[in-house]
Amino acid sequence: MTSQITYDDKTVRRFMSASIIWGIVGMIVGVLAATQLSWWQMNGKFLEAITFGLFKGEGLSYITFGRIRPLHTNAVIFAFVGNMVFAGVYYSTQRLCKCRTASDLLSAIHFWGWQLIIVSAAITLPIGLTRSKEYAELIWPINIAVVVIWIVFGANFFWTLAKRNEKSLYVSLWFYIATIVTIALLYVVNHLSIPTSLTHSYPLFGGVQDALVQWWYGHNAVAFFLTTPILGIMYYFIPKAAERPVYSYRLSIIHFWALVFIYIWAGPHHLLNTALPHWLQILGMLFSLMLWAPSWAGMLNGLLTLRGAWDKLRTDPVIKFFAVAVTFYGMATFEGPLLSIRAVNSLSHYTDWTVGHVHSGALGWNGFMAAGMFYWLAPRLWKTKLWSTSLANFHFWIGLVGILLYVASMWVAGVTQGLMLAETNTGGATLKYEFVETLRQINALYIIRSIGGTFYLVGFLLCAFNIFMTARSGKAVDDTCEVTLLEKTKKDTMSLGESLRQDPVIYAVLAVAFMILWFLLPHHADKAALAVTLILIAKAVSLFKKDSRTWSQYFDRLLENYLPFTVLIFFAVAIGGVVQIIPSLLVNKSANMEERLQIPYTPLELEGRDIFVSEGCYNCHSQMIRTLVPDVMRYGPTPEQGYSRMGESLYDFPHQWGSKRTGPDLAREGGALVAGSQTMRSGRRDNLWHFNHFWDPRQTSPGSNMPPYPFLYDTKADFKTLPKRIATMTFLGVPYPKMSKDAIEQSARDQAMEISAALVKAGAFIPNKTELTETELMRQLAESKVVALIAYMQKVGSYEALDHERKPSALDPDTIRDAGTKPAPATTSNK
Amino acid sequence: MSEEPEIRPGQYAQKKGEVVLREHVYDGIQEYDQTLPNWWLFIFFGALLFFFGYWIAYYQFGWTKTDAHRIDQAMAVIAEAKSKALEEMLAKLNDEALVNEWAADPAIVANGETTYMANCVACHGQDLAAKFDIGGGQSVPLPGRSLTDGQWEYGSKPMDIFRIINEGTPAGMPGHNGAKMEAWGQKIPPIQVAELTAFLISRNFAEFNKL
Repeated sequence: MTSQITYDDKTVRRFMSASIIWGIVGMIVGVLAATQLSWWQMNGKFLEAITFGLFKGEGLSYITFGRIRPLHTNAVIFAFVGNMVFAGVYYSTQRLCKCRTASDLLSAIHFWGWQLIIVSAAITLPIGLTRSKEYAELIWPINIAVVVIWIVFGANFFWTLAKRNEKSLYVSLWFYIATIVTIALLYVVNHLSIPTSLTHSYPLFGGVQDALVQWWYGHNAVAFFLTTPILGIMYYFIPKAAERPVYSYRLSIIHFWALVFIYIWAGPHHLLNTALPHWLQILGMLFSLMLWAPSWAGMLNGLLTLRGAWDKLRTDPVIKFFAVAVTFYGMATFEGPLLSIRAVNSLSHYTDWTVGHVHSGALGWNGFMAAGMFYWLAPRLWKTKLWSTSLANFHFWIGLVGILLYVASMWVAGVTQGLMLAETNTGGATLKYEFVETLRQINALYIIRSIGGTFYLVGFLLCAFNIFMTARSGKAVDDTCEVTLLEKTKKDTMSLGESLRQDPVIYAVLAVAFMILWFLLPHHADKAALAVTLILIAKAVSLFKKDSRTWSQYFDRLLENYLPFTVLIFFAVAIGGVVQIIPSLLVNKSANMEERLQIPYTPLELEGRDIFVSEGCYNCHSQMIRTLVPDVMRYGPTPEQGYSRMGESLYDFPHQWGSKRTGPDLAREGGALVAGSQTMRSGRRDNLWHFNHFWDPRQTSPGSNMPPYPFLYDTKADFKTLPKRIATMTFLGVPYPKMSKDAIEQSARDQAMEISAALVKAGAFIPNKTELTETELMRQLAESKVVALIAYMQKVGSYEALDHERKPSALDPDTIRDAGTKPAPATTSNK
Repeated sequence: MSEEPEIRPGQYAQKKGEVVLREHVYDGIQEYDQTLPNWWLFIFFGALLFFFGYWIAYYQFGWTKTDAHRIDQAMAVIAEAKSKALEEMLAKLNDEALVNEWAADPAIVANGETTYMANCVACHGQDLAAKFDIGGGQSVPLPGRSLTDGQWEYGSKPMDIFRIINEGTPAGMPGHNGAKMEAWGQKIPPIQVAELTAFLISRNFAEFNKL
């Protein structure tokens, strides 16, 4: 029986237009953020010039780098690439299933809901409402909206699969399924938090646990939001555009399963040489190396599909964009494993090399795949010709030059800064350069990066114009198609149980289970587990060699049953996270810490910390001294300072280990209590230094590119909600003494007054408010955000020493290793 | 590819070089099946072997030190080099030498000034008066003490100056309005501390020359 169906191309057109519009916004914000690193005036002072003095001020809080950078990343990831992915998914899924999307209502809710989320992100981030976890900054009410809309998208997608008139699932759909289930899992776990108000919450995990969960999410957001859906799009649009068969089906299979299984384990490579347990660092590194081949399999399948269609490269901009995009995918997925090697990472991490790496993925792979897809789709969605091929070609070349300028300048900047930071004076006992000197050295490269980004933006604006003119010249007509209806009894006949009781599944599950036991079991038992793992692998290989047909037939049948297939994908992606995160949640508690344990923040310091988080300071300042000589020499040279221990940030909700140092590390900024005071501390630098520095960073650190923060001096700190926040902290396990609400607020006010008094005594004043008397000034400061922030700065890194050894534990392979190599301590601790 | 290999219909390629065109067509998209390139297999299996080998070497055989062990050793070596360099420098220095030789040598004083401008101005000011001119007749007080007012809180002998820079504000002292100076000997080598001392003496030469 056949039927005439009309595809829902309206939704595709909507998502595509939204992607282009948000892409422009996201890239403009990106260029602004890039220029801020070269010229601090771009944090607001430039508005004085372009508004002819209508705006007056040293900076504008809404566009300081710390707030704008998250806006840029969220806009390009979720608004630009997100909408582009949805356009590609809605277009290709309907055609691969030979049926219209299941529900027009759900499609509309998905579209408008997603745009609403983007708009609310664009409002909340600049006003300083943030969770501070990278690419997970949005506040909790928006998080819930994202989950709801994602469920709407997933329901619509799977419902369409259920209604399909195509028996078997094409590769693109495998990748879309993996995207939908994995993003749901990652997003929910990393956004678990406890609200303290409508706009603020603390994450459920703190310190090392929060770092681990965050980078499990952060890395796999790149994997499953910026990679797998784009691969699905590649598998559909490249063979379409090239009119060539896909290079190799078996490569698709291996590529897919290896990618979804291995990717998840690689998250800890964002935390190499930090206080993260060593075994997790090693897993992160080794699984990243194992990702190289599967990633390149994707590149091969993309590029070699173009074999035989290379002549189109001269004439068709679509093929040009796709070929270069896939090449950048290959380059970025080679660079990724390289940067995950601990030795390489010790140089590259916290520098611009990482920034260059993500942009070769974002601009090259995502951006050019998007452009190729737009140029291919536009004539088909509006039933016309592309308005200008030569303009598209110009977009290609200016975009490519832009990427190359961007990536090359970031490579040089990253390596230069990494080497300079490690360079010592003769004798090797002291470092040669101050941090700010390295920053001045790479400023020219920052300018080249801004130029590269601007080129890319110009190219993208031309693309928008070209697509707009194409749409105007054509007519929005939906495709129709004659399809043979597929009876319900001909698809989805395999039960879940049947799909699991198969050799490939059984052997995979057993081998992975024993591999995990090998990681975790004590000495000797682990070797037995390893032996079993290897035997299982050998047995599986021999079974496959003997009769590969049963395995391939099983897989072909699995592709005709979308639910069991989805369940298997879910297992494959879930396992890595479970193995890495659950042990850490169970083991890394305050009772198990050795050497050092963080001293909880006073109420005022907690308020200061929340201001630090809200201003996005973590975008440029880490709080993690790695176990590396240049780090320890620069940030913690004395034995009581040293590298950062796990216990020192255990009560940090969220953690502030950071991922990039545009400014120096802050882990040892704090210090001891001032003699005679119960609360006021003085660290590496004095209160007055911080006071001067926040007002004008260049006064204390000539050459600094930090934004000035004069607005912190006349906005009030929030003492009223502190009791609620402290109650949440207590609930999360921070050992606060019992305090009444009044006592909490009073404590914050007392400490703020003490700091303000000290500042005024030392001669501090607010340059544009010299008319204030000392008492008035003291009162104003005691209520201000800047004093709370100073209190926090003076506290960072304060710890109490512990004399407690970690006991060997099954969930802690490092303690097992130590127990085997170290003589047992003579006396046991009494704790 | 100079010549196109023969393409046969089927499900899976059986041997190297064979190109099989799969029967199923999805929305006009066809798929070949071909065996995987050897170099690709080499990378794939190489990474797998490296994974097993690395873990076994680290956890089963206990090869290579832990990070904590490694960094502690490295820092111990550095600490020793530091104290040795300091000893050597102290052997060369005394009050007289600092005033008459070091502070009298313009090259040394210039080096000291460079170090001062890079590290000290944030607290003691460009003109050593612990003030920062912000224009409009205003100047912001800085955390440090003035180094031109003839008062030396922690000792006024040239070697006292060297020591206070090297070791920072003595423990137990309240500091200047609570501000304490860090031990610069941890950050800059003794030669630079000495040059810095010479620079400060040269800026207060009349005072120190009397000693």
